[in-house]
Amino acid sequence: MHIALDNAQYYAYTGTRELNPVLETVVFVHGASMDHSVWSHQSRYFAYHGYNVLALDLPGHRHSQGRLLSKIEDMAEWAVRILDRTPCRAIHLVGHSMGALTALETASMFNSDKHFLKSLSLVGFSYPMSVAPALMKEAKENPSKAFSMMTEWSHASKTGGEPVPGFWATGMQMSMMENNDKHAIYCNLQACDNYSGGEQAFKKIKCPVLFVSGKLDKMAPARLAMRIADKNNNATIELIPGCGHNLMFESPDGVLDSLKRFIGK
Amino acid sequence: MSRPTRTRFDTLSLHAGQRPDPVHGARAVPVYQTASYVFRNSDHAASLFNMERPGHAYSRLSNPTTAVLEERMAALEDGIGGIATASGQATLHLAIATIMGAGSHIVSSSAIYGGSHNLMQYTLPRFGIETTFVSPRDIDGIRNAIRPDTRLIFGETIGNPGNDIMNIPVVAEIAHEHRIPLMIDSTFTTPYLMKPFEHGANLIMHSATKFLCGHGTVIGGVLVDHGRFDWEGSGKFDTLSEPYPGFHNMIFDEEMSQGAFLLRARREGMRDFGACMAPTVAFYVLQGVETLSLRMQRHVDNTRKIIEFLQSSDQVKEISYPELPEHPDYELSKTLLPRGAGSIFSFSLSGGRKAGQALTEGLDVFSHLANVGDAKSLVIHPASTTHHRMSKTDLEKAGITEGTIRLSVGLEDPDDLIEDLSKGLHIAKKAISA
Repeated sequence: MHIALDNAQYYAYTGTRELNPVLETVVFVHGASMDHSVWSHQSRYFAYHGYNVLALDLPGHRHSQGRLLSKIEDMAEWAVRILDRTPCRAIHLVGHSMGALTALETASMFNSDKHFLKSLSLVGFSYPMSVAPALMKEAKENPSKAFSMMTEWSHASKTGGEPVPGFWATGMQMSMMENNDKHAIYCNLQACDNYSGGEQAFKKIKCPVLFVSGKLDKMAPARLAMRIADKNNNATIELIPGCGHNLMFESPDGVLDSLKRFIGK
Repeated sequence: MSRPTRTRFDTLSLHAGQRPDPVHGARAVPVYQTASYVFRNSDHAASLFNMERPGHAYSRLSNPTTAVLEERMAALEDGIGGIATASGQATLHLAIATIMGAGSHIVSSSAIYGGSHNLMQYTLPRFGIETTFVSPRDIDGIRNAIRPDTRLIFGETIGNPGNDIMNIPVVAEIAHEHRIPLMIDSTFTTPYLMKPFEHGANLIMHSATKFLCGHGTVIGGVLVDHGRFDWEGSGKFDTLSEPYPGFHNMIFDEEMSQGAFLLRARREGMRDFGACMAPTVAFYVLQGVETLSLRMQRHVDNTRKIIEFLQSSDQVKEISYPELPEHPDYELSKTLLPRGAGSIFSFSLSGGRKAGQALTEGLDVFSHLANVGDAKSLVIHPASTTHHRMSKTDLEKAGITEGTIRLSVGLEDPDDLIEDLSKGLHIAKKAISA
């Protein structure tokens, strides 16, 4: 569906279903230079199992118009305003990587009468989310090299063998990044690198929080997520074996089952 | 973190798409010779069919062995994914049926495999799809043939029978100006000699029967998508950008942005047309792909030696091979095919039909048959076999002379091949002087 805001049209995948105000809504937020379809399997499952789904394309990404945002806080504010334009009340927020930072910040902004935050799931999360200087340099000067670096770092296996029949994960990620605005990568990585509101955000969140990490994640190492989870009484952590940062594709079932167990509680 | 490196071609040829069998530790790709798969429970089954979970439900849709081949070919072509089919012809049909229906039009190179020509010239018009054929060297002709209802430009890396090389970068630009994809049949070159996606193509097909398998043992095809074509933005591909009632009103482009084409091809094309590759066939093709670079280089090296020999014969009038300066695509070949222009070429023999027939029948190491891309060397004389009903004039229209011989050079010792050809030439000379 498309949602109008400030003279732009923003896209959210719903599983081609109408939103039902009675149902709880799972909101998915993608990572740097990605789009809603990174949640392809997980979002479709929830859409057909008793939930509304809104898998967002962030501003300037894939089907969404609007300018690219270079701050996590701006992305979160946008997400809240988008949700304000839907009939959805009870919200489960799910984010991956940069999308996890956005989901965290969005969750901290929930003080509206319109919405009620039921849970927060942070997939491939670390805080702070510092970006390697070499990657940042390439993102600014030579985006295609940055795509290549991120793609190689994001997968546990360099030769595939992923569970989605017929698809080559490396090629999928490269294609998704190249199909987006080439400036998105630098803009997004800057947003990750500069975000410093994580600790404050966690303090404001009262709902249960799930951390899902790939055991072999090089981009957002699981130990960093575990360190943060340990400080949070409301936190659950799930480690997915055999996969890295692109864990929704490397282990679609593993991520889905973690979300199902948590959101379905 | 140290800078990552991409896995290279030869390693991908051996490993892409497969992890050692976690149950038994099998190193080779196991042949999953099964039609169906046991569901964990009803919810799991429903999730598989509704694409909420990845996995295999029925081998017409996907199979673990063929999935390795699909992923491996996508890796070697720098694509996003692939679909293995029952034959090269099934691949071409699957691609066309996925993106168009009655009322659509294709612009195709005229220098293509006869089977592809038959499909587009005679069969598809019965289903409302027309094709305009244009010489791959006629760039203006290709541009001018595009109509508002054109949905695809199609060609081969190296055409048939004149070894015409399509200028893929230029044709891709024309296709994209008109918001339509370019599909390339890369059978003759394989990703070792050329990667059409690097030059702007959007879809690649292979007859896996040929060099990919490499041993002339199975029939199969593979379709690979680059994932860069904007199907929704084009506004011309309703099958991918509008709700599909045949799959719960799924809009494929929304479901999987860059994988929309492959998703529909599998979920509709494999489901309904059913031209799937058998797992045993996939296993044989994988055996071939493992040694692709070694074989392709040897094919090219042998071809160069044979051409050098033929150039020294006064019975050989003309050799059509893009690496020769007199070939019209010599310069283009150096750009697009720096590793070599393949191992299939034709030459014209003095003495017409009689000499051609005598030569082919006089060879021992070369096998006289209608195929290409085998490990074994192959020969055919079109005027006395595949085109035997055609007059001299009609043959010339098809770019063939009465003395044209086509060779597909294999992996034998090149000296044995040269000795065989030398003998054949001697027999041909005797035949015309008799």
